[in-house]
Amino acid sequence: MNRFKEYPTSLKRSAMSLIMLSPMIVAIIALVGLTRAFMTKEFITSVFGHGAIADTLIGTVTGMIAVGQAIVSYIIGGELLQDGVSLYAVSAFILAWVSLGVVQLPLEAEVLGVRFTILRNIFAFVFTIIVAVLTVLSVKAIS
Amino acid sequence: MSKKSENKMKFKFRGLKFLGVVAVIYTIVGIFSTDKLIKSLSFTADALEEVIPILAVVVFIMAAINLFFNPKALAKHLGEDGGTKGWLLALGLGILSHGPMYAWYPVLEELKKHGLRDGYIAAFFYTRAIKIPLLPMMIHYFGWAFTIFLSLYIIPAAWIQGWLIEKIEKFAPKR
Repeated sequence: MNRFKEYPTSLKRSAMSLIMLSPMIVAIIALVGLTRAFMTKEFITSVFGHGAIADTLIGTVTGMIAVGQAIVSYIIGGELLQDGVSLYAVSAFILAWVSLGVVQLPLEAEVLGVRFTILRNIFAFVFTIIVAVLTVLSVKAIS
Repeated sequence: MSKKSENKMKFKFRGLKFLGVVAVIYTIVGIFSTDKLIKSLSFTADALEEVIPILAVVVFIMAAINLFFNPKALAKHLGEDGGTKGWLLALGLGILSHGPMYAWYPVLEELKKHGLRDGYIAAFFYTRAIKIPLLPMMIHYFGWAFTIFLSLYIIPAAWIQGWLIEKIEKFAPKR
């Protein structure tokens, strides 16, 4: 029960930790704002259309640069499908949107270490393509 | 004695240089396109509005971790001794987690100080791609089969990534 008495002190320490990290967090959020201003729906749609393999890579790269709520990626993904972009590319795009993030790399490296950040993002990139391909192959197999 | 030393915490801002670089980028954008600058600032304000309440919750979670999770207890569940239960916990928490990825970094940093395994962090991040509240939307846009297969494949993919990262870290430990 004594632990609860220490909670305000612990809370103060945690708030201090977050305040110390605040310039980095504000910088990342500012980059998020910048990316959203440049990575418009029209821009994202315009980069596809180079065949399934190239589009899958483009989808992964675009998804990792773009930022925003996951639901936005579904909406853009749905429009890309209507425009004739392959499901491989769209799958990679919506998966990379959530699991990869170029914008937050500096914060991830600062907090979790450079080596971990590099390894995690390389694996996440590769597995995004693998999962996208497996998903589409499975969907095609049952339909 | 100052309050800082009482808390045994040296106050130092992190990322000031990076913030400076971002400010320079904004200045350059502003020189070339006022419209893009205003849009960027507006999106930044929206993102801040979204993230501030989450960060407030993060402070409470960090305080609870500091207070109630001692390294031994954490090692048992999410540290070296975590085992299968730890993997399941990391994968499950990733699926259930909300908010932007960057809001989770301070919590993970705190847990890492207490012994959280890197593999679990990687698995947590990857299963965040499964968004339970958004599954109906995903079904609407891409269909049932797509949603089920994608969600099913994300889980083992997350575990394999975490496992591989730990293997590499063990094989080539930090100097």
